[in-house]
Amino acid sequence: MGLSLKAVEKSYGAQRVLQPVDLEAADGEFLTILGPSGSGKTTILRLVGGFTRPTGGHIRFGGTDLTDVPSHKRPFNTVFQDYALFPHMSVADNVGYGLMVRGMAKAAIRDKVVRTLEVVGLGGLLDRYPSQLSGGQKQRVALARAIVCEPKLILLDEPLAALDAEMRRHMQFFLKDLQRRIATAFLFVTHDQEEAITMSDRIVVMDKGRIEQVGAPGDIYYAPKTPFVARFFGDNNLIEGNVRDGRVETAVANFALPAGSRAEPRPVLVAVRPEKISIGGADGGRTAIACKVEETTFTGALTQLKARPLAAPQTTLLVKMTSDPGRPLPERGAETTLSFAPDTVAIVEVGS
Amino acid sequence: MNSLPARLAVFALVAAGPLLFVVAPIGSFLVMSFARVEGHQIINDMTLDNYVAFFGNWVYLKTFLLTLWLCAEVTLIGIVLGYPIAWFIWRRRARTRYLLLLLFVLPLFMSYIVKIYTMRSILGLNGFLNQILVGSGILSAPSLVFLYNQGSILITMAVIFLPFVILPIFLSLERIPRNLVQASADLGAGAGTTFRHVVLPLSLPGTIAGGLFAFVLALGDFITPQMVGGPSGFTIGRVIWSQFGLAYNWPFGAAMGAVLFLFALAVIVVAGSIASRQRV
Amino acid sequence: MSLSSERLAATAAGFLAAAVLAVLYAPVVIGALFSVIEVTRNGINWGGFSLAWYGKLWQNQSILDAVRTTLIVSACSVSLAIVLSIALALYVEWEGAIGRRLIELVVYLPFLLPPIVTGLSLLIFFANLGISRGVATIVIGHSVFVLAVLYRLVLTRLQSLPATLFEASADLGATRWQTLRHVLWPQLRSAVATGAILAFTLSFDETLISVFLAGDATTLPLRLWAMMRVGFTPEINALVTLVLLFSIALAIIVSLRMKPEGEMEE
Repeated sequence: MGLSLKAVEKSYGAQRVLQPVDLEAADGEFLTILGPSGSGKTTILRLVGGFTRPTGGHIRFGGTDLTDVPSHKRPFNTVFQDYALFPHMSVADNVGYGLMVRGMAKAAIRDKVVRTLEVVGLGGLLDRYPSQLSGGQKQRVALARAIVCEPKLILLDEPLAALDAEMRRHMQFFLKDLQRRIATAFLFVTHDQEEAITMSDRIVVMDKGRIEQVGAPGDIYYAPKTPFVARFFGDNNLIEGNVRDGRVETAVANFALPAGSRAEPRPVLVAVRPEKISIGGADGGRTAIACKVEETTFTGALTQLKARPLAAPQTTLLVKMTSDPGRPLPERGAETTLSFAPDTVAIVEVGS
Repeated sequence: MNSLPARLAVFALVAAGPLLFVVAPIGSFLVMSFARVEGHQIINDMTLDNYVAFFGNWVYLKTFLLTLWLCAEVTLIGIVLGYPIAWFIWRRRARTRYLLLLLFVLPLFMSYIVKIYTMRSILGLNGFLNQILVGSGILSAPSLVFLYNQGSILITMAVIFLPFVILPIFLSLERIPRNLVQASADLGAGAGTTFRHVVLPLSLPGTIAGGLFAFVLALGDFITPQMVGGPSGFTIGRVIWSQFGLAYNWPFGAAMGAVLFLFALAVIVVAGSIASRQRV
Repeated sequence: MSLSSERLAATAAGFLAAAVLAVLYAPVVIGALFSVIEVTRNGINWGGFSLAWYGKLWQNQSILDAVRTTLIVSACSVSLAIVLSIALALYVEWEGAIGRRLIELVVYLPFLLPPIVTGLSLLIFFANLGISRGVATIVIGHSVFVLAVLYRLVLTRLQSLPATLFEASADLGATRWQTLRHVLWPQLRSAVATGAILAFTLSFDETLISVFLAGDATTLPLRLWAMMRVGFTPEINALVTLVLLFSIALAIIVSLRMKPEGEMEE
């Protein structure tokens, strides 16, 4: 019995920033809310944290209704985007703050703070002040401050946004590992799809105050349910088409409807992941597309290729493949055949 | 907590002090201005007599107009002297800048009554100025021309209120991003052009604020005229003050106070709107 | 060409600044000078250096009483204004606030209007209510006068604090009161201290409002004014010098506290 949101909505005057939303998070789950700015993701986090009140619906945790419970009485703790460390307190006092306001004895606080700082890997920095810390260190202090009270759920509001790329990657693994060690549910808000995929057990994709799709990272990645999700996850090739007679028809190619898809005739969006397209061969039931190569780009581990189908030159297909110095790549302007397996394609509903 | 009655209750709680001790007193003195004195009784029968007496008597009206003229002169001197000084301070390097600013702002903190006193001791018959002039043989005997006239009021007020003008001008100059000035120079504008088109317009709100301070402070001052103006140096502030002292005509004093109040309010509103129209 | 004309302007402004500085400080220097050197009908007696007048001040009971009254008035009015300014600033920043503009107007008005208006309006107000004038009425007059300064400084500081600081405190389980005590107050403390010194200086020197509200009470500026109307004495010069030194000391403290943020506002 974890967190549960039922028909929770939020309006500011006439402007509704969050449509009625249902959401569940299990105990110990790493749940990520992913969306662009203005999608309502931070609003959900602030509602759960109790920093704003919903204009409708109920927020429950473990069966208890928390909708009207003020922030300081909720069993959650938050890691803020700007960390919100108290500038006039040392690291130890910052981390011990939640224990101090609960009236814990000084010695016991010190003890617990020391242990918690070791958990986040900041053993020797007890008496530093926030202004003397690097971004990554502040981040860990904010984390330590949130976990020291042993909350049932930790809320993280884009905590990695202010870090540089290297540090961000490092912190992703650190966060995931920490979450497993302390066995506490994380509600993580981000606009970064890579972050979401790397860390989450489940991802909630949001747009314009609505939930677009909820699912495991693999589901969201390979089986987007809405055009927004298909577009949001990076470099998907999106092709308009129609389902007819058990087949998918597009200007680029026609192929058999993947297993499990509804057969009724309708317009759809076909999403093909760039790494699922390869150069050459229509063997083994693969669908072949004759193309003209636009450009090839070596990006390190991967090589990208952009090509236009001869049948539909207004469309560009993106292909990503493992770089192989031994294999010659088609020249710019050359004609080549690309292919994909029909069952790796996602059929995205465009209706409603 | 956010329901309207609750919000009104909090407002009443927080605003009670300021409303009681700022708004209510202003209200009661405005009401008093419609009263009249009979013997030693103040009778409030909502009469306009006080205003008629003020506007109908050329002596009072003239004092008021002369006071306005005096304030305008003080303001003008303040800006003419204060602007170049603020500009000069602003152009110094960071360290000397704040030291200089401190030197010019320090007099703000010096006791007002003491400054008047020292000015009087400089300008007076046995004052420093006369001592110097007599001692150096320029004058054969101490002169009275430096004290107890409108000129001495003007000089004293100008000296006392000048720092009030310099500080806001400096602060508005300080708020001009340095790269704006550099950008203007970079675009080929000469120093004079940059000053006219960038620095001057952007520092106008501070200049107006400074001028406003000098004007309003001079407008209500009644101790300076009394101390250095002597028997002839009457300003509206001094006339009002006398109604609450020897003359004991509070309603008449309140009426003149009301005129002063409304005039000051108008000046503040006009200056404020000019400053905010600069969109800075 | 334009560069040299700019330099010319700067030089001229520099001379002007120097001259004005001399005029501004001459009274201070001269006052200090006359407090230790004798002035007679025949001129200045440069040889008669003496600190005796400073010693005599300590035996003048009326001056000591005035100093004590002034300190009481300043301390009370500044304390009152501190509490009020924090409450008002918090209120104005509160999302449920109504009448923000009205409150700001009322707070700034006594500071912007000629002091004579504040003085006579409170005089009439208290007279209507039958409250006799004295230390308490001066305290109220000074409170509304210095409130603007404290309010401005507290509000500026408050607005510079990120809202997440208070959310974080509540999030960690602190009640409103605990947040006020452990997070808000430490953040406001320095602004309040700066404002308090500034307000104290204003109150210590305030004359134009006090004169309306004093009744039988006498503050130091009022005492000085009364002494001055009688004439010049080295004793006054000694007192004046001490008052100036005290004000200057306070001003230097304020400016040192304010310089890093540069948050002094008109």
